[in-house]
Amino acid sequence: MSEAHSDSFDLKDLYDEDIDPDPESRADRAKRFLEMNVVAPARIAVDDWRALVGGAILAFFLLMGTVGVWLVERPTSGDAPVLAAPFESLAYPLGTDVFGQPIHAQLIHATPGMFKMIFAGAVVSVGFAALVGVVAGFEHGTRIDSFLMTITDVVITIPGLPLIIVITAIFQPENPYIVGVFLGIDNWPGLARTVRSQVLSIREESYVEASEIMGIPLSSILRRDILSQLMPYVMINGALTSRRIIFESVGLYFLGILPFTTFNWGVMMNLAYEGNALTRPDMLPWMVAPMVCIFLLSFGLVLLSQGLDSLFNVRLRARHAKTSKKKGTSKNNQSQATGGD
Amino acid sequence: MTPKYLLKRLGQAILTFLVTMTVSFLLYQAMPGGPTEAMRSVILSQSGGSVDIDRLNRMIQLYTNVNPDQPMHVQYFNYASDVILRQDLGTSFFKNEKVTTLIMQRIPWSMFISVYALALGYSLSIFLGVMTAYREKSRFDSTVSSLIIGLNSIPYYIVGVVLIYFLAIQNNYFPTGGRIGSGIAAGYNPEFMLSLVKHAALPAISMGALATSGALAMRGNAIRVLGEDYIRVAQLRGLRETRIATQYLGHNSILPMYTQFMIGIAGVFSSAVIVEEVFAYPGMGLLMFEAVKTQDYPLLMGTLIVFTAISLTAIFIADLTYTLIDPRISVGEE
Amino acid sequence: MRTSNQNDSDPDQDVVFEVRDLEVTFGTNRGESRVVRNVDFDIYRNETLGMVGESGSGKSMTSSALMNAVVSPGETSGEVTYYPPGGGEPISVLDLDEEELRKFRWGEVAMVFQGAMSSFNPVKKVRGHFKETLEDHNRDVEAGLERAHQILGDLYLDPDRVLDSYPYELSGGMKQRALVALALILEPEVLVMDEPTAALDLLMQRSIVSLLKDLKEEYDLTIIFITHDLPLLTKLADRLVVMYAFDIVEVGSTEELLYDAAHPYTRSLLNATPDLNAPIEEMQSISGSKPDPVTNIPGCSYRPRCPMADESCAEAEPPMADRGNGHRTACFYHDDVADEIPIPAMEAAEEGGEGE
Repeated sequence: MSEAHSDSFDLKDLYDEDIDPDPESRADRAKRFLEMNVVAPARIAVDDWRALVGGAILAFFLLMGTVGVWLVERPTSGDAPVLAAPFESLAYPLGTDVFGQPIHAQLIHATPGMFKMIFAGAVVSVGFAALVGVVAGFEHGTRIDSFLMTITDVVITIPGLPLIIVITAIFQPENPYIVGVFLGIDNWPGLARTVRSQVLSIREESYVEASEIMGIPLSSILRRDILSQLMPYVMINGALTSRRIIFESVGLYFLGILPFTTFNWGVMMNLAYEGNALTRPDMLPWMVAPMVCIFLLSFGLVLLSQGLDSLFNVRLRARHAKTSKKKGTSKNNQSQATGGD
Repeated sequence: MTPKYLLKRLGQAILTFLVTMTVSFLLYQAMPGGPTEAMRSVILSQSGGSVDIDRLNRMIQLYTNVNPDQPMHVQYFNYASDVILRQDLGTSFFKNEKVTTLIMQRIPWSMFISVYALALGYSLSIFLGVMTAYREKSRFDSTVSSLIIGLNSIPYYIVGVVLIYFLAIQNNYFPTGGRIGSGIAAGYNPEFMLSLVKHAALPAISMGALATSGALAMRGNAIRVLGEDYIRVAQLRGLRETRIATQYLGHNSILPMYTQFMIGIAGVFSSAVIVEEVFAYPGMGLLMFEAVKTQDYPLLMGTLIVFTAISLTAIFIADLTYTLIDPRISVGEE
Repeated sequence: MRTSNQNDSDPDQDVVFEVRDLEVTFGTNRGESRVVRNVDFDIYRNETLGMVGESGSGKSMTSSALMNAVVSPGETSGEVTYYPPGGGEPISVLDLDEEELRKFRWGEVAMVFQGAMSSFNPVKKVRGHFKETLEDHNRDVEAGLERAHQILGDLYLDPDRVLDSYPYELSGGMKQRALVALALILEPEVLVMDEPTAALDLLMQRSIVSLLKDLKEEYDLTIIFITHDLPLLTKLADRLVVMYAFDIVEVGSTEELLYDAAHPYTRSLLNATPDLNAPIEEMQSISGSKPDPVTNIPGCSYRPRCPMADESCAEAEPPMADRGNGHRTACFYHDDVADEIPIPAMEAAEEGGEGE
């Protein structure tokens, strides 16, 4: 073998090395992503009862919105006797409304729309928050940062509900995804600020500085860490944002501001409330059933966020360490004193 | 007090107001088919018969301060100067009165229940937060914490509905709605005052439920502050328990919550729209609701702008007090 | 019981605190954690008592117990008796009710501890701290603030400037001295200083220590100084208490312990102490690891790390042996310790004349 040949062989080798590990590492990355986003949260969820109960409630409603819709027929007027009492017939276990529609079927068929709204709203607000927060954090100290933060501060102080009411009154959205997007509009600034400060604190870590000195670009360091460190905030905020979207969407349907084009818990409440359900015991189930659903779903989300919070929350973790070891106290306090304000 | 900090906050408030005003102008433009098309049917149903396009545009300008005939920047300039310089928010389609006049009549009522709700909700969240932290892991703590989580899972308007059902319908403790009993003369007489408070109580409580969402965060802060050295030193110094609870624990755990509380003001004010409808309480929120129902766009935009202005004022006032409760503010902000 | 011969206090001494059978326990999920075990000692009026031992040896817990201030969920038992000045009725500190205890704290015993940097309420001016302390102990606020001025002046601080400052406006050393002044505001009998200088630089440490000497004279104080900084203590303390593994292993005058330490641990401690006079190769660290508060070591607790340990050390706990002049030590072989564990630095110092 000539030298030249071996050289080219080596080059090819090198070339292959460059190419080959990539798909492999991509698979690794996918595995890591799965581990981080599915396996680890699941394990955590099992460890904390709040996350467990919250997750179970959420799963129940998801089943209701998928399997339930398939099992239970879409209600129409005159399906059953008008204003039947609950717990008397298997055909309408929760009773019926003034149109003779079974209440349980209405609840079930309102669920997919609810989830579409929650999904769209959470994706929009969490996604936008993450985008704004990460960009502002990356560009810390520049004009882009101060511009983004000014916008964030402005949106944070605009009364969100009246704005959303005006927007929905003008555009009359019927598609649940669009309703969700509208509701997500005022939900992002808080998380954006959190994400930004998180990015900043990652930047300040000493190992980041060290890697930078070693010539690894800041962006790739941050990319590696941001996902893992921001995930908790994103998940907790996702749960809380979802709750808020339920509150607001149901509220707007309840007020009758959003058009009544689909089944919705808020629509049921509106019709019942307008029909004076509070003073008519025979109509009460029509009013109470959607209220219970809203409560349960929000309760599940709050529990989930609480459970995730207690497991992820650095402060809490520090506190656990603190109670067991006295030395941690002063150190912890110092870090809080410097980072506190 | 640090003038620089306050100037910055004031500038931010003004900017926010301008943004809201601009948004409302843009929303007029963004109406499906443009303002002329969108409002044609509403105006037609008001005036009856048919009108030509010029007359329609003139009427739109009369009502909304937006003249669709002119180029966009002129429209915007006129709109902005009407709002800012003349405090003119247009005229209601249906009530044929100045929007500002209509809103002014309603503001005191909304302010009444909102402030009531804020005071109630915030003092309750601070009190419960501190108390549960003090007895961390006790039965009291777990009971109250669970109740708070439960309460935070119920939308405030459902709280309102439940309150009406139990306290106004099942039992006659409070009226189901309205702002004053019929046949009661206004004035400084006890009967009037009592009726005022009784009508405002349930709306304020349900809005206050929204303001208790900070209680758990408050608890977390208080737990953290309890671990601080100055609390231990205060106990070693033999200070009275009440002093430690208020001036040490309470005061220091509120500080990180302050921004959240301030932002919460806007949320509580906004909740008036739904709550006032539920209780038929004729404040600004009900006015806004009526505007939606009747497609009274000038009134709708007007209430949005005024809601923003009021929230911003309230937040700015809260900002002024922040410098009083945290001496480090000038340092922390730099 | 190692302390049977110590149950009666030295009749020649005016005792201010008498501690007997002091136990502090914490329930943990691994079992009961005994962080102070069966501790007996006396504190004499107007002395400076140094408490030394590694971190986690129980010094801070013992001193907290003097004010019945062990942090919850710690349980304190035993007897802590306080003798007020002028022959007043003795006070059993652990039996005080909440209100009595509140008055007792800071009024009779004040404490300055390691977290001085964060011992002040961050949202309150220093003046407010003095004022509230006076108010809550029903003292005359005017006269008290007058006194605060004087003490702050004695500590080389500008009284008006300090009083009108928020804590964050003061430097660490200033805060530390302001805290000492706050500790003296109610004219306590006893001042407990728990690692008061740990967070300060060396210069500030020494200046605080020299201030303490003056303060002690001026305000008739009994000072309990807790630290793991042995050289600092030797310059300050009249008597030393050495703690190891949650109990006292040796007590005696500073002189006595410096030149005639009779417990292997004390001697290792002296050997491990960096001293400018000692060549670096003669310094030794103490081998082995710290004891665990949950496990109960039968016999002598220092046995696992002691070079002299034999079977008898494992069989029984060594009693406190009296070596005269109030020097007591918990070692079976206290007479042989000096020969078995030499202290090269000390010998060098002795040979070269007085060490200091």
